Amino acid sequence: MYNTIKITAGDGGWGGPLTVTPTEKCHTVLSVTGGGIHPVAQAIADMSGGVAVDGWKTTLPDDEIMVAVVDCGGTARCGVYPKKGIFTVNLMPVGQSGPLAQFITPEIYVSAVKEKDIEVLGEAAEVAAPAAAAAVADKGPKTKEEAKAEIAAANEGKKQGFVVRLGKGVGAVVSKFFQAGRDTIDMVIKNILPFMAFTSTILGIISASGLGNVIANTIAPLAGSLPGMLVICFICSLPFLSPILGPGAVIAQIVGTLLGAQFAVGAIPAQYALPALFAIDGQVGGDFVPVGLSLGEAEPETIEYGVPAVLFSRMVTGPVAVLIAFAFSIGMY
Amino acid sequence: MEFVAKLAEGFMSLFSAGGETFMGWVTGIIPTLVCLMTAVNSIIKLVGVEKVENFAKKITKFAVLRYTLLPLMAVFFLGNPMCYTFGRFCEEKYKPAYYDAAVSFVHPITGLFPHANAGELFVWLGIAQGLQQAGLSTGGLAVRYFIVGLIVILIRGLLTERIYASMIKNK
Repeated sequence: MYNTIKITAGDGGWGGPLTVTPTEKCHTVLSVTGGGIHPVAQAIADMSGGVAVDGWKTTLPDDEIMVAVVDCGGTARCGVYPKKGIFTVNLMPVGQSGPLAQFITPEIYVSAVKEKDIEVLGEAAEVAAPAAAAAVADKGPKTKEEAKAEIAAANEGKKQGFVVRLGKGVGAVVSKFFQAGRDTIDMVIKNILPFMAFTSTILGIISASGLGNVIANTIAPLAGSLPGMLVICFICSLPFLSPILGPGAVIAQIVGTLLGAQFAVGAIPAQYALPALFAIDGQVGGDFVPVGLSLGEAEPETIEYGVPAVLFSRMVTGPVAVLIAFAFSIGMY
Repeated sequence: MEFVAKLAEGFMSLFSAGGETFMGWVTGIIPTLVCLMTAVNSIIKLVGVEKVENFAKKITKFAVLRYTLLPLMAVFFLGNPMCYTFGRFCEEKYKPAYYDAAVSFVHPITGLFPHANAGELFVWLGIAQGLQQAGLSTGGLAVRYFIVGLIVILIRGLLTERIYASMIKNK
């Protein structure tokens, strides 16, 4: 009997969820995880009703592999099976990476999978007729039960040696470091550099065209005093303005950079830096309240009343934040 | 002819000033940032989100921790915007207040831990870079930004919790 199963990405994982249905021909879970059958591969086989085989010992025709389970840090294996069109489960938290990255898609690939990420959806629609199954069992290479018993025997006799375990441990740590580096570079290229490009262009135009002096003469007196900052913060946190000013913190970032230029030339005294950081940010997240609340799995009613609650609260806590920051900057610079 | 040449020169100077700023940011900010972010991201991956979640579930019932340590952990380990998912560990009536506290911390944390919200660094960096150009150090400012951030999110959490409670009562 075969079951359709669903495999979702684990913590830090990517891709999926995959819905996999075994068939009479294609019900093998290939475990390509450094020798032996990995518990995740075994769990997939058990829940779906398929069999798990050790990819280091045997190979199968591609069309008999239902799912390939790999523990790839992001170079080769994680791309090989998706390229062949085989559902791929990676135990490592790796997204689209490696030379075969373009074949790794959420439809066919899921990563950081643990046993708890697998669930049974229901019985497979096309269960082979008993007669047919018996016929296959006669001439087929092995029945499921036989294969399972064989695997159990093979796994039992083989306690992993110390060197293998050490190697795997080191490999796991190194692959996490590597993935951390990849995440960082991704972030720099996708978010930080584009923002720098756009802001430095604006700043360049402002400073070279003489607009900078105009801004210095208008903003600086306002931002260079406590009452001025309280006014800025209060305006930013007005409930009808804060959702408009919020998105991506773009406005706060640009204003921060413009103020930075004023601090650089001494137009605003340095002791106002800390209150300024809070003054320009009274609207933070004002645009994101419903999304943020639904990420926290809040009920619709909570969202309905939560949005105005947060926005109104800001009109008080925004200026209060500036005052606290002002008190804390005493003795600095 | 001379006029056109002058015009072109003036036009180019607008962008060469921008290019200099860009170059300064790329060489001055990115190298340290990359190494710091890689190190912290590695630690987060080694600790694992699950352990953090188990701990987070235990502290949501204490008001002070709910609006200080909980958002701090969420922002540090999950970053913006996944940090708001920790709201699910709070009781329904605390969720708006938790969101307010968490979202208000995504910028104060960047002075010390830029990995947590690397897409919005310039709220902090914009001002910090200016101070550096003026020859001032920004370490003390980053620490104070962090501490004041914690105080502010506690106040925001407590106040938003009250406002939300009274709105629900008067609905």
